[in-house]
Parts: sequence; C-alpha cells; structure tokens
Amino acid sequence: MTSNTSGSGLDVGIDAVGVRFASPAGPMETLDAFSLEVPAGSFTVVIGPNGCGKSTLLRLVAGLLDPTVGAVRIGGTAPRAGDGRVGIAFQQPRLVPWRSVLDNVALPLELTGAAADERARRATEALERVGLGGVAHLRPRELSGGMAQRAGLARALVTEPPVLLLDEPFSALDALTRETFDAELQRLWLDRPRTVILVTHSVSEAVALADRVVVMTPRPGRVARVVAVDLPRPRPADLTGNARAAEIAAEVRSALASGRAIELRPWLQAEVLA
Amino acid sequence: MRRVAASLASFGAFLLAWKVVTVVGGLPVYILPAPEVVAERALRAIGSGVLWEHTAVTLLEIVLGFTVGAILAVLTGIALGKSLLVERVLSPYIVAAQAVPILALAPLLDIWFGGGLLARVAICALIVFFPIAIATMVGIRAADPLLDEMLRSLGAGPAQRTRLLEVPSALPVIFGGLRVGVTLAVIGAVVAEWAGAGSGLGILINIANQGLFDTPLMFVALAALAIIGLAFHGLVVVAERRLVSQ
Repeated sequence: MTSNTSGSGLDVGIDAVGVRFASPAGPMETLDAFSLEVPAGSFTVVIGPNGCGKSTLLRLVAGLLDPTVGAVRIGGTAPRAGDGRVGIAFQQPRLVPWRSVLDNVALPLELTGAAADERARRATEALERVGLGGVAHLRPRELSGGMAQRAGLARALVTEPPVLLLDEPFSALDALTRETFDAELQRLWLDRPRTVILVTHSVSEAVALADRVVVMTPRPGRVARVVAVDLPRPRPADLTGNARAAEIAAEVRSALASGRAIELRPWLQAEVLA
Repeated sequence: MRRVAASLASFGAFLLAWKVVTVVGGLPVYILPAPEVVAERALRAIGSGVLWEHTAVTLLEIVLGFTVGAILAVLTGIALGKSLLVERVLSPYIVAAQAVPILALAPLLDIWFGGGLLARVAICALIVFFPIAIATMVGIRAADPLLDEMLRSLGAGPAQRTRLLEVPSALPVIFGGLRVGVTLAVIGAVVAEWAGAGSGLGILINIANQGLFDTPLMFVALAALAIIGLAFHGLVVVAERRLVSQ
C-alpha cells in the first residue's frame, strides 16, 4: 500500500473559499465556495480546464493572495508569504537571469538570513537531489528548459518546506521528459514525504502521481469530484496497460466532462430561449 | 586592433576635412583656425600650465556634479518607479525643472548656493538629474512581474525586491541614462562657470573668445571639453561592462 499516510508535512484546509477580482469586464469570480481538506503528507493533484482557478488556489495556499470570502489554513493557521511553510515551483522556472544556478537555488535561504557557507551547502544538496549536481556555477540561460525546471524545483525544496506547491511545473516539457520528471518527483516525495499539491492539465500525470485527484469545474472553480487513486507505489512512469489506472483515468475524465456540462447548461438554455 | 585602426582612420579623415575647409574656404584664423594651428596653441597652453589650471577646475565640477546628481537621480528614480503616488506628486516638478532652460536657472542657483564650487556642483547635478532619474524609473517598472511574484512568495519585502530584482534588472537602462547624464555634466559645468566663476574651461573659452580674440585657444578649450566628455563616457561604458552581466 501507499507509504504516504504516515509522512511528515502539514495539513492544508480550504474552507468555502471564494475569490473575486475586479476586471475591465466587471467583477470576475475565479473560485466559488471551494472547500478541500489536504491531509498532511499526502500527494494531491488538482486538475481542471483552463481558467478554472487552479493557479489561484495555489496562490491562496502560498499566502500570495487573500480569499474574498472563506479561509485557508496550513496546520491550523493562515498562510503568509515567506513564512517558510510553503515551497512553490512555478509553470515557468522563474530563475533570476544574472544569478548562477546555485545562487538562484540559495535565494530562499538568503532571504531568511542563513550564513553563506550554509546556503552553499544546502543549495548544492538540493541541486544534487534533483540531478543538477554539475551545473551549479552556470547561468540560467545556459540551461535547457528541463534543467531550468529542475533548478526551480530545487529552489522550492531547499528550505525543506512541509508543504510543496507545484503549478504545472512540467507542462512546457515534451511527453517523454515529463514522464521521467514525474517518476523523479514521486521518488523525491517517497524519500522525504511532505504535503504536495500539484496542479496539472494532464490526466495521465494526475493518475501517475496522486493519492487523490481533485477535479475542478470551469470558472468559477468548484470541486466537481475527488477521485482516490489506490495504485501501489512506487508507480512506474508509464501506466498504460494498467487496468486499474485506466479505470481511474476514465473516472477523472468523466468528472471533467460532467463539470463542463454543468457549466454549459445555463448557456445552452439561454441560447435556446433566445 | 581593427577597431583601433578604424578609430584612427576616422580621426585622420576628420582632421583632413577640417584642414581642407580652412584652405578651400580661405578662412582666417579668427573664424576657423587650421588643425595644426590649434595643435601648436595647445602645446603652448599646456607648457604654460594655463590649460591644466582651468581643466582641473572643470574636472572637479564634473566629477562632483555628476556623482551627486546621479546618486540623487537613481534614488529618486527608484521611488518614482515603485510608487505611482510619488510619481504623481513629484514628476510635475521634475519635468518643470528640466523644461526651464538651465542657462536661465544657472545665475539664480549661483546666488542661492553662494557662488562657489557648491553652486557649480548644484547646477551640474541638476542637468544630470533628469535623464538618469527617468531611465531608472522606466527600468524599475520593467522588472519581470513573474520574478517579483516569486520573490514575494519567498517573503521578500519591498526593499529586498528592489535590491534583488528591480535595481539589477534596471541596470542596463540606468546605464543608458548615465551615459546621457555624463555628457550633460560637461555642459552643466561650462554653463555653471558662465554663471559666475573665476576659472574653468568655460571661463577659458570666454577669455580666449571675448578678451584675447585668441580663437585657436578657444578651440583648445573646446577640444579639452570634448576629450573630457569622451573620457567620462568611456569610464561609464567600462563600468557598465563590468556591472551588467552578459
């Protein structure tokens, strides 16, 4: 069975959260009555169509954004950006171009005032864990897209945060590279369990990595369904031919489709009545 | 090597064209002295110590005026770039100060700042200020919002984001402003001297032009100003190459 329930990390709670923005087209709702409990040490994958508020969800948990209504908790208290409980890897690697790879990875430690030798030691270790041991001295522009993403992941891991947020970190990579990365991500998590919330578009990635897949509706995002993934770990990178994985993927796809149908219905009615 | 050769060739062509104009145009020395006349006058001015006496004064004004003006401009530019409120409040005054001709302001500033070196540094700093402040503001605003969000997610405050992201990413643009500013500093020093100084290359121009009718000496002073401008511009470029990575 899974080794993740006994892991470390902090639980993340999202209670009836709504997020509204003022936009040129009027107020825009990205999340509505969104509730989710993420147990400590679990691997949760959030999947949903474009613009459903997946990234907004991560920004809430990272403390970069306050909910318009509702509450977000990490281990019982509201998150605050930079409180050290969350590491985040973005869709784009977001490396500072004039810093070396090592100095980029050490940046979170620099901001907490760690001594230079400790920063170098821990950043080197984080780079080695993501397989980037030899490129510490290079500039980000000298890295391939995949290496840059690994460096972004190393930066998120360098403080050993109890909660790791991943915002489609491998979406720009080709399918083969992505499978390798998913397998490595699983290994990193099995080595040092922590609470992970990963946002993705990819059903196969969700099934390969998640304890639970949270399927979201289109905007304003709500939870359409939570699908448990009861496949044993470590899972192979490629799950094609696995009957149980195929069943789960089908369930996720149907939840995505029904979410879309819910959203389309009022629009269809309006169209028919007009 | 080829670049040095090209520079020398272009300078030679410039001197030749100058000489041709004086010969073909049959211009008298008090209108346009030939290059060798100016060179001979320069050697005499150097030999008598007159040139260095005035150059030293102007150099000091430029260095102090540019340094003071550039530091104030970068600090102001950061404030303008980070806060729309600061920009709304300050920019009308900054633009107005720039729009008023420095030639008209200089005598006033000369009185306000007591007429000495301080007054000349203030005038020089004022003319240097505008392009550097505006360049800094534009550069600060152009910082990558994705990197800014990344830093905020790590808990970086406004001052840390300025130090770690905004200033480094604005550096190429700030150096653009510094290049413009350093050449304006030369103009500022001369204008400041004209507003009421006893020595300096601006004063030497006046003495040569209006007092002695020594047009070759005026050209020597002009050439000295041009060389100073080129040298300081070169120093800024060297600093830029060192500080701006890539």
